[in-house]
Amino acid sequence: MSADDLFGLASAAVLPGWLILILAPRGRWVWLDRIPALILPFSLSALYTGLILAHFSAAEGGGFGSIAQVRALFASDYGLLAGWVHYLAFDLLIGAMMAGQMDKMGLSRLSQAPLLGLIFLFGPLGLFLIWAAQGSLRAFGKGGAA
Amino acid sequence: MNGVAKQLWWLTGFSAAMMAAGLVWAGFETRLLQDALVWIKPFKFALSFVVFFATLAWAAGRLSPLVASRRGLRWLVVILTAAFWFEMIYITAQAAQGLGSHYNTGDLYHGVMYGLMGVGAVSLVLGTAVIGWAVLRDTGAVLHPDLRFGVGVGFILSTGLTLVTAATLSAMPSHFVGMPPAGAATIPFLGWSAAVGDLRPAHFIALHAMQAIPLLAWLVAGTARARAWIIGGSVAYSALTMALDAQALMGLPLLRL
Repeated sequence: MSADDLFGLASAAVLPGWLILILAPRGRWVWLDRIPALILPFSLSALYTGLILAHFSAAEGGGFGSIAQVRALFASDYGLLAGWVHYLAFDLLIGAMMAGQMDKMGLSRLSQAPLLGLIFLFGPLGLFLIWAAQGSLRAFGKGGAA
Repeated sequence: MNGVAKQLWWLTGFSAAMMAAGLVWAGFETRLLQDALVWIKPFKFALSFVVFFATLAWAAGRLSPLVASRRGLRWLVVILTAAFWFEMIYITAQAAQGLGSHYNTGDLYHGVMYGLMGVGAVSLVLGTAVIGWAVLRDTGAVLHPDLRFGVGVGFILSTGLTLVTAATLSAMPSHFVGMPPAGAATIPFLGWSAAVGDLRPAHFIALHAMQAIPLLAWLVAGTARARAWIIGGSVAYSALTMALDAQALMGLPLLRL
C-alpha cells in the first residue's frame, strides 16, 4: 500500500474510536470500551512499528538533536506517515485514559465531550485543560470535586 | 456535595483552566484586535466565568438535598454546561484565528454563531435566576434566612439587570458609543474606553449584582432591618446600573483618562 493509502486508512480507523469515547455508553460492554482503549491504539502501534523499522534509517541527516534533524526525519512520506500514526495512536490512548479518569472524577459526559474533542484535535491542549481544572479545584479546596 | 454543585464546581475549574491557557498563550502572542492582544478577550471571559460559576456552585451547594435533586435543576446544569463550552470554545477559537466573536457578522457562519452566542448568554443569565429562585424558596437551605433572601434577590436582580444591559449591547453595532481614536486611553486591564461611551461597564455591574447583593446580605444578616437593607440596596444598585448604561449611551466614558 502507498503512503497515501495507509494515511487514509489510519486516519479513518481512529474515527470510530473517538465516536465511541465521546458518544457511546461506558462500562456496559467490555469489548466496546476496549476498541478505543486497546484495540485501535494497539493496531496503530503495530503499523507504526513496521513503518519506523523500515524507514527510519532512510532519513538523510535525521535525528532528534535539532529542528533540522527532526525535519529530515519527516522529509519522506513514510517518515511523515509514521509521525502521524504516532499522533493518532497516542492521542486516542490518552483520550481513552482520560475518559476513564473523568468518569472517576464524576465529570458529566456533556463536559467530557468537548475535552475529548480537544484531545482528538490538539492532544496536549485537552490534557492541559483537564489537569489545570483538577489542580485549580484542589486549590479552591474542592478536591477535584470528588 | 450535591450533583448540581459538583458539576458547577467543575465548570469553575475549567474556567480557571482556560485562564491558565490564556496566560501561557500570552507568552507567544503578538496579534492585536481592536488595540488589544488577541488572548486577552478569552482570558477575561474565563476570569468572569470563574467568578460566575463559583458563585452559582457555592449557592447550589447550600441547597437542601431534596431541592438539589430536582429534575429541573439537573437539566439546568446540562444547559449551563453546553452554553459555557460553546461560548468559551467559540471565543477562544475565533481569537486564536485573530478574529472577533461578538459583533462578527461578516458572513453567514459568523452571523449564525453570533446569534447562538446570544442564545448561550441568555441561557447562562436565566440560569442564575432559576438557581436564585430555588435558593429563595428552599427553607431547608444551609443559609441564614437573611442571606438566603439576599442570594435569591441578588441572583434574580442580576438576571434582570443583565438582560437589560445585554439587550442594549446587542441592539448596538459595537460596544462603543462613538468612535475611540486609535490608541485612545482605556481603563487598565478592563479595557473599557476612557474616551468615548462604552456599554460594557453597565453590563459588568449588572452581572455582579449576584455577588454584591449577597455580600450586602451577609453583612446585615441577623440585624433588625436586614431585609429593608437588602431591598434598599437592590434598588440603589439597579439605579446605579441604569445610570451607567445611560451614561454610555450618551457617549460618555466611565472615567475620562
